Amino acid sequence: MDFALDDDQQLIVDTVRRFADRDLRTWSADADRNGAPPDRLTHVAGELGFFVDAVPAEHDGMLEGAWAHTTRALRGYELARGCAALAALLETNVEPALAIGKWGSDAAKKELFASLASGGLATLAHDSRGMLEIIDGRVSGKLGPVPALARASHLLVIAKELVFLAPTSALKITPVTPSGWRAAQWATATLDGFRPEHTLPADSAAHILAWARVSLAARAAGVAAAGMEYAEAYAKERVQFGQPIGRFESLIRLRDDAETGAIAARTLALYAAWALDNNHPRAFDLASRARVLAGDVVARATIDAVQIYGGYGFVNDFPVEKLMRDARAFEALHGDERLGRVLAQKAVV
Amino acid sequence: MDLFHDSPLFQGVRQMLGGFAKQMMRPIAIKHDQEESMPWDLMKTAQGLGLTQTAVVDGRKKLTGVEEDPDPKKPKSQARLAVVGSEELAYGCTGITLAIGGSGLAATPIARMGTEEQKQEFRKLLAGTDEKGHIKVAAMALSEPATGSDISGLKTSARQDGDYWIIRGSKQWITNGQSASVYVVWAQTDASAGRAGVRGFIVGRGTPGLVPGKKETKLGIRASETAQVHFEDCRVHKDMMLGVGGAQTGGESAGGLADTKKMLDSTRPSVGAQGVGIARAAYEFLLERVKSSSLHGTPMASHQHIMFEISEMAMEITASRGLVHRAAWLADHHIDNVAEASMAKAHGARTAQWVTTRAMVLLGEEALEPGHPVEKWYRDAKIYDIFEGTGQIQRRIIAKHLTGQNPT
Repeated sequence: MDFALDDDQQLIVDTVRRFADRDLRTWSADADRNGAPPDRLTHVAGELGFFVDAVPAEHDGMLEGAWAHTTRALRGYELARGCAALAALLETNVEPALAIGKWGSDAAKKELFASLASGGLATLAHDSRGMLEIIDGRVSGKLGPVPALARASHLLVIAKELVFLAPTSALKITPVTPSGWRAAQWATATLDGFRPEHTLPADSAAHILAWARVSLAARAAGVAAAGMEYAEAYAKERVQFGQPIGRFESLIRLRDDAETGAIAARTLALYAAWALDNNHPRAFDLASRARVLAGDVVARATIDAVQIYGGYGFVNDFPVEKLMRDARAFEALHGDERLGRVLAQKAVV
Repeated sequence: MDLFHDSPLFQGVRQMLGGFAKQMMRPIAIKHDQEESMPWDLMKTAQGLGLTQTAVVDGRKKLTGVEEDPDPKKPKSQARLAVVGSEELAYGCTGITLAIGGSGLAATPIARMGTEEQKQEFRKLLAGTDEKGHIKVAAMALSEPATGSDISGLKTSARQDGDYWIIRGSKQWITNGQSASVYVVWAQTDASAGRAGVRGFIVGRGTPGLVPGKKETKLGIRASETAQVHFEDCRVHKDMMLGVGGAQTGGESAGGLADTKKMLDSTRPSVGAQGVGIARAAYEFLLERVKSSSLHGTPMASHQHIMFEISEMAMEITASRGLVHRAAWLADHHIDNVAEASMAKAHGARTAQWVTTRAMVLLGEEALEPGHPVEKWYRDAKIYDIFEGTGQIQRRIIAKHLTGQNPT
């Protein structure tokens, strides 16, 4: 067993960490206020290889050989340390690109990859509560809010009986700006008797959701870690009752427990990613468990980061109130993970 | 026997304010949260109903019209009325609750420590409407940039110059800080006297040197204005210093920080009750949604996964309310409730945060929709573990009550 990163992974972690610390953290507050990413994001991230890294090389992308979920989890953690909303945009193309690359028809590949190679975005929606109605192959209902959907050219939909790629031009897209991940260009999609042209095999859903779960888990761990990085620095400076508040045992405990959680969540996300990369029989289960843990961890850590900042934590001059807003999407997207686990296990007993 | 439900007085307040919360506050709560604006029209209505908590000094009618027995040994109903009312209003919207009640923070020390002349001045400064046609509001200016939990380290100073005091310093997180027509500002008059040197002053808007500062953009309670306030050699007549002359409270600390701290202590059960109100709001929303929704074709309410968690919410809310009611009952019966008040406040805050967080998870993507009430309550809930003494301060108070010493 080896927990060390290889040279390529270390290079990616170092590069993305620099990008997150230098750019994403700098852009984060303005992007949050504006409800939109900075114009430079596309340019800088494009240079780093985002957006087309999951598109096969033969379709003008950068993917040669197998996709590495472990590397993605490592970088997702670092990106979310910088900004959860911008990280969501940077990661959004991965699931649609990998899914179409693996199971899509030639026509689907041609359509999606042409869009992504020319700067387009795609995103994933999961009808986790069975709200979509599918009658005679036509799909109706509402999905979302979904991050990146306001700018996306394509939406990959996972419904109970159907997995399909839809051009957003065929759907009613309503941009919305939720309270968290405000810069992630969210929208809802309304389908009105939409007949999917590009369908994928039903069993692709479990794979795609596992990829998304690991990515969400790694990013949630990154947000939790960021909260505690900020809180630790603040607690060293802030003096109350004659000493830095970081010396109060209760606050040490809050921070220490959150850090333990963040380390555990990151480790489980990486383990699940490794399982995906190695076709481990428990890979899907581990991906789901990683998301359960990371959801709990990011919720607690961000609430406690605000607590350590006290009154300053509640105002947007400081970074932690944003983290508390951002934390919610990690548990809400694709539905309540625990509920999904319970229903799945109930079905087989 | 349930004192709070059997009493017609408490029942009446609960019904009246519960109705006000549902019919008047809820419909405008999201708008004021999104706009980060004060609900001036509703504040005017609330003032007419006696909800602005300034009745003690501004002469408007009290909410209940009930006169307390003046015998200091007889049980009172004030603390219990406050918690019953606080839960109901917070159930409507905590931001609006604080907008309506914000002036009460300043009115309370004046009622407690002010002379008749000072009360008269306060009434005068709050009478009528301001230049925007809004009702006039007051601000209590105590916290400072370097002084959040530890209010003994106030840096704002007051220096005597003949018949005037010259106030210098900055205040932080001040409710109504930009809009107030009258401020009660706390300043150190004698650094060598420590806490005993801290005094309150009544300062009218427009007094030279009083400079309302930046309005904060906050995580929650956005219908309530929070701002910095600066005092740049602000001259205040000595008659406007609280706690001298005809002070209502005796003892060497009359009008000083000790009185201020007592005043903060007395509000803790009500703050805990507001936490209960937010939690109840989220819980009831979730329960209604679950009762009327299905999950892959089965009723949501048929799932243990969902219903046991909702049951847990009901338990925690009931437990928090019990602590709040007990702390208020003790206060009304003149029994020391310092530890119970802190327990009520801390537990109410924890319940509000936990219930709103879990409600969001159980609602799923729906709760991400902009303007979703549960998402708003999630953001509103956090302040209850921070203001009026953080959760850590409450536990410190409880611990000191248990052992006689402050753990660090």
